[in-house]
Amino acid sequence: MTEPLFEVRGLTKRFRGLTAVSNVTFRVAAREIVGLIGPNGAGKTTIISLISGTLVPTAGDIVFEGRHIERLPAYRRARLGIGRTFQVMKPFPGLSVLENVTVGALFGTGGGERNRTRAEERAREWLKFTGLERRMDQRADALGGPDRKRLEFAKALAMNPKLLLLDEVMAGLTHVEVDEVVELIKKIREKGVTILVIEHVMKAIRRLADRLLVLHHGQQIAEGRTDEVLRDPRVVEAYLGKRRQ
Amino acid sequence: MQLFGQILVNGILLGGLYGLMGLGMGLVWGVLKIVNLAHGALIMLGGYALYYLYTKAGIDPFLGLPLAMVAMFVLGYVLQTALLNLIVRSAQLNTLLLTFGLDVVFVYMAQLLFSADFRTINPPYAGKNVTISGVVVPYAQFGAFLVALVLAGLLFLVLDKTRTGRAIRATAQNLIAARLYGVNPKRIYAITFGTGAALAGAAGGLYGIVSQITPYIGVTLTAKSFVIAILGGLDKPLGVIGGGLVLGIAEAMAALYLDPTYTDIISFGLLVLVLVARPAQLLGRA
Amino acid sequence: MNRYRWLALPIAAAALAVVPWFTSDTIVQYGINALLVATLAQAWNIIGGFSGYPSFGNSVFYGLGTYGTAIAMAQLHWSFGSGLVFGAVLGVACALLFGIPILRLRGPYFAIATLGLAAVMSAITATVEIAGKNIGLILPLFRGDTLFYELSLILLVAATGTVAWIARSRFGAGLVAIREDEDAAQVMGINTTTYKVAALTVAALFSALAGGIHAYWITFIDPASAFDPSLNVRMVIMTLFGGPGTVLGPVLGALILSAVSEVLASQATGVASLFYGIVIVAAVLLMPKGLLDLVQGFRDSGWRYFVDNVRRYRI
Ligand SMILES: Nc1ncnc2c1ncn2[C@@H]1O[C@H](COP(=O)(O)OP(=O)(O)OP(=O)(O)O)[C@@H](O)[C@H]1O
Ligand SMILES: [Mg+2]
Repeated sequence: MTEPLFEVRGLTKRFRGLTAVSNVTFRVAAREIVGLIGPNGAGKTTIISLISGTLVPTAGDIVFEGRHIERLPAYRRARLGIGRTFQVMKPFPGLSVLENVTVGALFGTGGGERNRTRAEERAREWLKFTGLERRMDQRADALGGPDRKRLEFAKALAMNPKLLLLDEVMAGLTHVEVDEVVELIKKIREKGVTILVIEHVMKAIRRLADRLLVLHHGQQIAEGRTDEVLRDPRVVEAYLGKRRQ
Repeated sequence: MQLFGQILVNGILLGGLYGLMGLGMGLVWGVLKIVNLAHGALIMLGGYALYYLYTKAGIDPFLGLPLAMVAMFVLGYVLQTALLNLIVRSAQLNTLLLTFGLDVVFVYMAQLLFSADFRTINPPYAGKNVTISGVVVPYAQFGAFLVALVLAGLLFLVLDKTRTGRAIRATAQNLIAARLYGVNPKRIYAITFGTGAALAGAAGGLYGIVSQITPYIGVTLTAKSFVIAILGGLDKPLGVIGGGLVLGIAEAMAALYLDPTYTDIISFGLLVLVLVARPAQLLGRA
Repeated sequence: MNRYRWLALPIAAAALAVVPWFTSDTIVQYGINALLVATLAQAWNIIGGFSGYPSFGNSVFYGLGTYGTAIAMAQLHWSFGSGLVFGAVLGVACALLFGIPILRLRGPYFAIATLGLAAVMSAITATVEIAGKNIGLILPLFRGDTLFYELSLILLVAATGTVAWIARSRFGAGLVAIREDEDAAQVMGINTTTYKVAALTVAALFSALAGGIHAYWITFIDPASAFDPSLNVRMVIMTLFGGPGTVLGPVLGALILSAVSEVLASQATGVASLFYGIVIVAAVLLMPKGLLDLVQGFRDSGWRYFVDNVRRYRI
């Protein structure tokens, strides 16, 4: 493997009694797509929150481009180039779709584009890219499910992230929509973005992920090339045994 | 040492009353997810209700208390049905602003109707007390303390044992699930807010016995009730009484060792301290 | 038409500026109060309307501005200008000191903390020797309503200009993002703490300056009037009524409601405040986005506008 874009070592998060993430270690190379899978409550979202800075780890290191970031506040990590989406989507409900995405362009990696007009132009491009152009002037809270997911995407993309953390962006989508999103994610990778993606939709993960990391009760039970991991009996038992797609 | 005992007793007696104030605030907050900035104004209204029951109708304050509570329950029930149910699902900012507006309405209604004069509910036994090993325990204060404890116990029993109480707790946990089990949220919300108002009213009445009421006592009491509810935990009536005791004792101590004007400053310091230290944990649990 | 909209502001300001030469003393005196309270509303708009932090304690900044100016002039015999600066410094220092811990709190936690701050500030001031304890201070007398009127107008224009800048700036976009969803704002790279503290500080600056001008004009101050909590009521309601998070809403709201309450206040004390309370309740229910949105919405959908607003969030 080449020099990793980012790396997690011994990452642990405890909520009072519960250990949501326990001693997880992995690396992600630049331009890789890594899938993070596991049954409900396995600790996937917690890992993304630890990396993006929404949560503070109990123990462990997070190294991004050779730099320790585990103690940095979330906004500093965003400026270093880490963007995320939320499983429970977090649009700015009272703002228009364009305004929502403009925020991403105005801030984000390296502090973003400081000029509002230019930031808006950039936001429009991302709306085109995600297929939300027609909805540009609608209020975010008036969007339907699939468009909300696109918005969540567009907001994160407008930040120009180097690392994109996607939390179940395909949940609840139809087959056709899932295919669209898979293509979208591939297109994003072609732009040079590294992606860590949580997904329950197996069909999608198979097509997307170069490698998989499997969590179960906060423990890392398997890691490796997608096809190999999916054949691993422990994974089949812990995960696929319960939840067949 | 005797002085210390006296201060402790004063603090505990006042603290029971504070606990009662926190109880109504915590109940409404826990179930409706509304922080009622008019809570202090409801306390104030309860105080006036009891004051007039005593001075105009000649009813002993402790006997009049249930009447005042019923009146406050009705007021709360109506408020919730007519106004608050319209915005319970809206952004928190809006519920804060609406209850803030209600607070203003109540305060100035009271000023117009009852004037800005200080009022005290002054039954014949008001000045009487008993001395136990050097520590003075005033009857009225002690009575108020007991009533606060009884009401907290009653609330606990009602929430735990009755059908309505269980419906209230279910609604607090999960509105959607509660609906599926046939709970009518509008009614439960109205009952909850009514109960919160009744508890506030009781606290106000007792406050009028042990202290003075004016139309303006509400704001600080709202802030204190809020802090007490946090200290005690929203879903635990007995814990909230404990929170009240903490604040009561702290204030009594401050009043002893510092100039009396500093008691408010101490409670504010405590308030900010509690707020800054606790919410993260609380929100995690919410 | 739209291209010349920006002209409306200077024209309105110029029209207001010549008022003292054409009207009576009473109107000018009413005007000073209205302009100062409009400034307070505009300042509240920055923290409450843009950032969505419902501060019920901005009267503290006003009070500190009042006292700063009064102490400087009455006790230290400084000039009015230095007094204003001193008051502003006090207000800003307070915003920084309390803002950093208090702005870590969200929603109701923040609201209650500010409420508490406002409630104790006059008690604290009443213990300070140089502030005249609970008796208050008397400033040197200066008769010149026109000057105070123009000063107040300049302050309001400056506050409104600042808000107009915020509304178009990156800073403003960050504040609005914080209002809409603070967690999302943070992971998008917004330094939420700095932004919120900055917003509160700017609000404190204008509030304190308004307090300083008022102190010199009224010449006598005491803790109860300087930290009058009903000022918070007025700032909130005027902003809410006019349109929180807009540039002109708070000014319109303040000028309209000041006029109405002036009429009501001549009837009986307390009636005006009662009216404010009722307006807050009605505004939250019927027109939560304020007058400007109401005008637009009413044109589009008539009375349905109100019905829709009431229906939107009911259970
Ligand atoms: N803020 C929190 N406080 C306490 N416990 C939490 C918190 N966040 C998550 N947990 C717990 O940590 C565990 C892992 O949660 P997490 O959300 O990371 O799971 P997940 O793998 O994303 O699940 P899902 O597939 O359902 O999204 C769960 O048991 C959850 O209840
Ligand atoms: Mg998850």
